[in-house]
Amino acid sequence: MRMGSSLSFVRNKFAEYYRSNSSFIQPPTSIEKREFGFLLLKERFMLRHRSFENVGVLRSFLKTTVPSDAYYSGAYYERPEEKMEEKGWLGADLIFDIDADHIPTPCDKNHDSWVCKNCGTVDKGLPPEKCPECGEQKFDEKTWPCEVCLETAKAETLKLIDILSKDFGFSLEEMRVSFSGHRGYHLHIEHEQVREMDQMARKEIVDYVVGIGLEATLHGLEKTSFDNRSRILVGPNLDENGWRGRIARGTYEFLLTATLEDLKRIDLKRHVVKTLLDQRESLLESWKEKGPWGKMKNVGVESWKKIALHGAQRQAAKIDTVVTTDIHRLIRLSNSLHGKTGFKKINVPIRGIEDFDPFKGAVAFKDGSVTVFVSDSPKLRVGEQIYEPFKEQKVELPTAAALLLLCKGAATVVE
Amino acid sequence: MFTKSDLAKYPFIPEASKFVKDLDIKIDELANPEYRSVLNRAQERIEEAIQDALVSRKLHNYGIEIPSFPIAIMMVVALANSYIKKRYALAEAKGVYHQLEAEDSEKIIEIAKNFDWNIKLIEDGSTGIYDFSLHFTNFLKNGTVFRDEKWKLVNRVMLQGDVFLTKSEASRLLQEEVQRYIEGKLNVKIDFLPPNIMERVEQLKQLLIEKGGKFRSESLPKTVVNAAFPPCIRELYDNIKSGHHLSHIGRFALTSFLINIGMTVETVVDLFRSFSDFDERMTRYQVEHIAGEKGGRTKYIPPRCDTLRTHGVCVSTDNICRRIHHPLAYYRRKLRSVKKVVIKPQKE
Repeated sequence: MRMGSSLSFVRNKFAEYYRSNSSFIQPPTSIEKREFGFLLLKERFMLRHRSFENVGVLRSFLKTTVPSDAYYSGAYYERPEEKMEEKGWLGADLIFDIDADHIPTPCDKNHDSWVCKNCGTVDKGLPPEKCPECGEQKFDEKTWPCEVCLETAKAETLKLIDILSKDFGFSLEEMRVSFSGHRGYHLHIEHEQVREMDQMARKEIVDYVVGIGLEATLHGLEKTSFDNRSRILVGPNLDENGWRGRIARGTYEFLLTATLEDLKRIDLKRHVVKTLLDQRESLLESWKEKGPWGKMKNVGVESWKKIALHGAQRQAAKIDTVVTTDIHRLIRLSNSLHGKTGFKKINVPIRGIEDFDPFKGAVAFKDGSVTVFVSDSPKLRVGEQIYEPFKEQKVELPTAAALLLLCKGAATVVE
Repeated sequence: MFTKSDLAKYPFIPEASKFVKDLDIKIDELANPEYRSVLNRAQERIEEAIQDALVSRKLHNYGIEIPSFPIAIMMVVALANSYIKKRYALAEAKGVYHQLEAEDSEKIIEIAKNFDWNIKLIEDGSTGIYDFSLHFTNFLKNGTVFRDEKWKLVNRVMLQGDVFLTKSEASRLLQEEVQRYIEGKLNVKIDFLPPNIMERVEQLKQLLIEKGGKFRSESLPKTVVNAAFPPCIRELYDNIKSGHHLSHIGRFALTSFLINIGMTVETVVDLFRSFSDFDERMTRYQVEHIAGEKGGRTKYIPPRCDTLRTHGVCVSTDNICRRIHHPLAYYRRKLRSVKKVVIKPQKE
């Protein structure tokens, strides 16, 4: 087998895609103020600081250059083609990235694998802190898009949409959600009002969404006295808005399921843990009235703060914090191909997001098949078809499935 | 509607500028005796800023009070000193805050609308202690400078994009807006001022020099005192010493911290040397860039505590952490207690 035939197969397919689909490439608003960047397929080189007057020029660039990945800046610049310091930043969209890499998932990433760069040790799952064989810390990771990972990412996206619409007041029309084509979702807001926000303001938005710095005592958890009688502890209720309601709902869910270990882990005193477990039923009942806050004499405000904060974490949306605060970030262009999968980044209608199937919706190649030699792959699904793991075998696959394996470097084209 | 007394309280609003414009004062006429009291008051505003960081309001004579503001602005510009610019803007803004706190809600809204604030009065009393709702973008534009937890967006009541505020909180946010506005006004150049005004500017310069000693910040010692590192930096430092890899922001925080407390580029580069993929040229370039010796020529300072918290670099906190908001402030503070220990010879 000749080296490079796999690469030219991928390139031909990508070229074919851009030849027949470039009209689906929609320009970002104010295209002329955006910086574009492209990862070149053969050279593996990032071409940056490009700009396009209009979508026509962009489309023909994609057709002739055939990049493996295409990006544009969330930022608007006076001179997008200049060096970073001379671009003249005018503003930036508000962007959120939810990536399975940043979220603990029930599959424990057992589909992923790593290779120690030093001694070549290989294993499944997330890489360890140190190689168990040689102690080095540099690894090559191979990650796969997985149904469980993407369902978890979708659940986080739904929480994010809830926060952004109810608390921040963005309408569903103002938010654009897309599947990245690999391991996560993007949420993009182009609203005029958010453009000029600086990094500090964006950091505050991140902290809001992730619940960083949250203080339960600033959300209604406090001692108050009624009719001058003894002071009792009160707290937020389930039906309240914003973080108040989230703290209450998170606390409820936590009390509902918490095990002895869960409660110990958040550093509660032994007698508090015992009370919470013994009185679980009556604590859950208490939500019908004022909640559990003042109910147990020996569970004080400090304990409730810990419980509330832990519960609130389940209500937060686990976004990649760096993407939102970076006001110069490049993001993947919608309907362009993802070089690690051969899938396309596609917009997902917010109202239909629950039913969205990324392994169907993002498939860019519907026809043809090709015979490939697969070295190693996990269980996968592309479209309706499920593929059991392959190991060192020759197999004829539909184009989309073969491309995924080729892009991942897990297969080569058999000629 | 604004009264003359309002214009004296809030001399930055367009109606006040119009009032001054209508007086039709010519710059070269400022030497005339009739303007003496206006010049006196202008000079006094700046003196108050230098002495007390608070400009008072003298509302009984608005004919003097209102024009004294733009003249004080000219004098501050002529002082050509970035410290006094900041201090004067702060002192004027604080004066505004004190006035605002005592105003009724409609007036606060009127002032806020001057700065294009999307602010609404809460009338039905359904929200308890709050008087206003303000769009979160206006809130964040002015609120991120505060350190208190109650100013963090995540700890606010926010509904449909509006953050709920008490009157005092809205006034405090407006203070920030006013301060920035005045700082902007001070960023201009003035070619000529009559000699009698320059004389006053000279007097103010003297006052500034007399007061100067108090304002100078403590400088850091030349040698690096490891024992005074904050926990986050200690963790990063220990990690790198034992060959662990750091996140991008971790590397930046560590490098900028060490450079700022006086470690040489050479020593910092050496820290990274233990890595198997150490690239001397690249590392040196990056460290020099942070030190301001390359590229943009700006020396970077490490991120603030809350930024480090957002990105997961803040690992544990101790008693000092609770009182500071920046790793360099921690270092400064810890030095005071460490110094005493370092001087004592240690028994091996």
